[in-house]
Amino acid sequence: MKDVILKVKNLKKSYDNKPAVDGISFEVYRGEIFGILGPNGAGKTTTLEMIETMREIDSGSISVDGLDVATQGDSVKQIIGVQPQTAAFQDKQKLSEIIELFSAAYGEKVSAKKFLDEVNLGEKINNFAEELSGGQRQRLSIATAIVHNPRLFFLDEPTTGLDPQARRNLWDLIREIRDRGVTVIMTTHYLDEAEILCDRVAIMDNGKIIAIDTPIKLIKDLLKKGFHKEQKVEQANLEDVFIDLTGKGLRE
Amino acid sequence: MTEKDVPRISLRKKLQTVLTFTRLNTKRFFRDKLAIFFSVLFPLIFLFVFGSISRGGGKLSFKVAILNDSSSSYSTTFVEQLKNSKIYKIDKTVNNLTQAKDKMGKSQLDGVIYLNKDFGVVQNGNKYPSGQVEVIYTQNQMTAGQTMASVLSASLSGINAKFVNIKTPFTVSQNQLNEKSLTTFDYTFAGLLGFSIIGIGIFGPVNVFPELKKQGILRRLHTTPIKVWQYFLSTMFSQSIIGVLSIAIQFAIAISVFNLRVVGNYFEIIIFTIISIFMVLGIGLAVGGWAKNDRQAAPLSNIIVFPMLFLSGTFFPRFQMPQYLQSITNYLPLTPVIDGMRLLITEGKHLTQILPQLVLIALWMVIIYAIAFRVFRWE
Repeated sequence: MKDVILKVKNLKKSYDNKPAVDGISFEVYRGEIFGILGPNGAGKTTTLEMIETMREIDSGSISVDGLDVATQGDSVKQIIGVQPQTAAFQDKQKLSEIIELFSAAYGEKVSAKKFLDEVNLGEKINNFAEELSGGQRQRLSIATAIVHNPRLFFLDEPTTGLDPQARRNLWDLIREIRDRGVTVIMTTHYLDEAEILCDRVAIMDNGKIIAIDTPIKLIKDLLKKGFHKEQKVEQANLEDVFIDLTGKGLRE
Repeated sequence: MTEKDVPRISLRKKLQTVLTFTRLNTKRFFRDKLAIFFSVLFPLIFLFVFGSISRGGGKLSFKVAILNDSSSSYSTTFVEQLKNSKIYKIDKTVNNLTQAKDKMGKSQLDGVIYLNKDFGVVQNGNKYPSGQVEVIYTQNQMTAGQTMASVLSASLSGINAKFVNIKTPFTVSQNQLNEKSLTTFDYTFAGLLGFSIIGIGIFGPVNVFPELKKQGILRRLHTTPIKVWQYFLSTMFSQSIIGVLSIAIQFAIAISVFNLRVVGNYFEIIIFTIISIFMVLGIGLAVGGWAKNDRQAAPLSNIIVFPMLFLSGTFFPRFQMPQYLQSITNYLPLTPVIDGMRLLITEGKHLTQILPQLVLIALWMVIIYAIAFRVFRWE
C-alpha cells in the first residue's frame, strides 16, 4: 500500500471554453520525485498552478496530504513549497534578507546562513540577488521555497536555461531535498532529466495524461511494442563528453 | 489528515510577518536611489520653486538708481536714508540718465529717483528746506514707478509734518496683523505636503506594483500563506516611515529657508501625516493592486491624481476658486489632508479641533480600502 500525498481526481480547467486541463486523475506517493512531461501547451503549468492553489478549479478535486485544495487552500499553502519558472527577486535586497522575508511570509523565523549553506550560497549571504548567476538564482529560489519545511515541493522547469554543470548541481540538490522526505513534483522539457531524476513521470498532451509510470517501465513498454532505434546505442553521449572535459565544478 | 495537522498561524505571528516585511522593505528603500529621489528630493524641488515664488511676492522692493544733482546737506541725508531703507535696492553703477534709461529698457531697473540741484536748499523766506523728488520710469515699469512715487510721497508727507506743524484732519492708519494672518507660503506649504503625500502614497505603489507583478514577485509571495491585509499593512507602515521622514526634511527647509512659522504641535502633525498617508496610500494600493501592468496603472493614476492636485489646493489655494467649485472640492480625499495640515501647522489647531477633516479622511479610508481589497490582484 503506497502512501499517497497528492490525489488529483478528474481535474478540469478551461480558458475561454478551450479545455487546458481535460479531466486528469493521478496520484503522487510520499517521498518520490514525480515528473510531469509534455509539449508546450499540454496543460502542465495549469495543472501545477491548480494544485498550488493559484488557479481556481473548474471541476474535479485535489487533495494535498488530505487537505482539499479548493476549501483548505490556506493550510495547503503552509505545507507546500513553490518554485516558479522564473526565479525573480526584488533588487537591492541581500540574500539573507530574502530568506528572512520568505520565512516571515510562511510565519517562520529561520537562520538564513543555514538555508543558504544548504544551497551552496553561504558565501553570498551579503550579496544582492541581482548579482547572482542564473543557476545561483534558481538555488536561491529553492532555498526560499523550503524555509518552512514543506511536505510537497513544486518545481516548474527548474533547469531551463542552465549550463550542464548548473543542471547537474540542481539535480543533486533536488535529490537531497527528496532524501529529506520531501515529495518533489516537477515539470520539465528535458526528457534525459526526467529519466535520470524522476521516480515516476506522467506524460501530458492536450490537457490529458496519456501515460503515467516509472521511466524504465515506460521505455520497456515501448520496446515491447517492437520499437527500436535505428542507430547503434552508444555507451556515452555528447553531454558525457562535455562533462568529462569541463568537469562537474560549478562555473559562477 | 485533517486541517488540525497543519498548525494555524497565530495572529501574533501574522503581525510579526507584517513587521518583518516593513523593516526589510524600508531597508530596501534606502538603497534605492531612484525611489529616494522621487519620494524625498522631488518634493523638495517643488518646495524650493514655490517657496521662492511666494517669498518674492510677499515683500515690496524696487531696484532704483539715485541721481543726486543737489549739493545740499539735506539731500545727502535723504539719499543716505533711501540707501538704508529695505524697500530700495540701489544700483550704484548708474551715474546718469542715459545709463538709467538703457537699464530700464532692459528691465534691470524699476525707476530712477532724481533730486535736482535745488533739492534740500533753504529757499529765500523759508525756515525749512524744500524741494521736489522726481521719480522717472518708463512704460514698462509703470506699476513699479507709480507705487514708488506713492511710497515716496507718503514718506515725504511724514517729513513735511515735522517741518510744518499742521494737523491733518483725515489719515489712514495701516496695521498689518502679522500675528494671525496667513502668508502665501503658509498656504503653499500645506499644499506641497499634500503633493508629497500623493507622491509617497500613490506614485510609489503605482510604479512599483506593476513591476513586481511583471517579474512574478507578487505571484511568488501569493504561493505563501501571506494575506493581502498583511501585505497592505506592511506597505502602509514602510511608506509612513518614509513619508514622515520626507516631510520632516521639508519642514526643516521650510522653517530655515522660507521662515515658515509652525504654531502647531509636532506630535499631532506627525499623527495627522501618518493618517493621511494611510488614506492616500489606499488609492495607490487600489490602482497599483488592480493594474496588471504599467499601461493600466499610469493612465488611471493620472486621471485620479491630476484633478486632485489642482482641485484640492495643492498648488493654488482653494479660496481663490468660485464658490460652487469650492463646495464640490471640499469633499475630495486630498482636501481634508491639506486643510487639516494648514490648520494644525499655521493655525495651531489641535486634532480635536479638526474633527470634520478627520471624519472625512476616515470615510474616504473606508471607501478606498474596500475598493483596494476587492480589486487587488497578485499577478
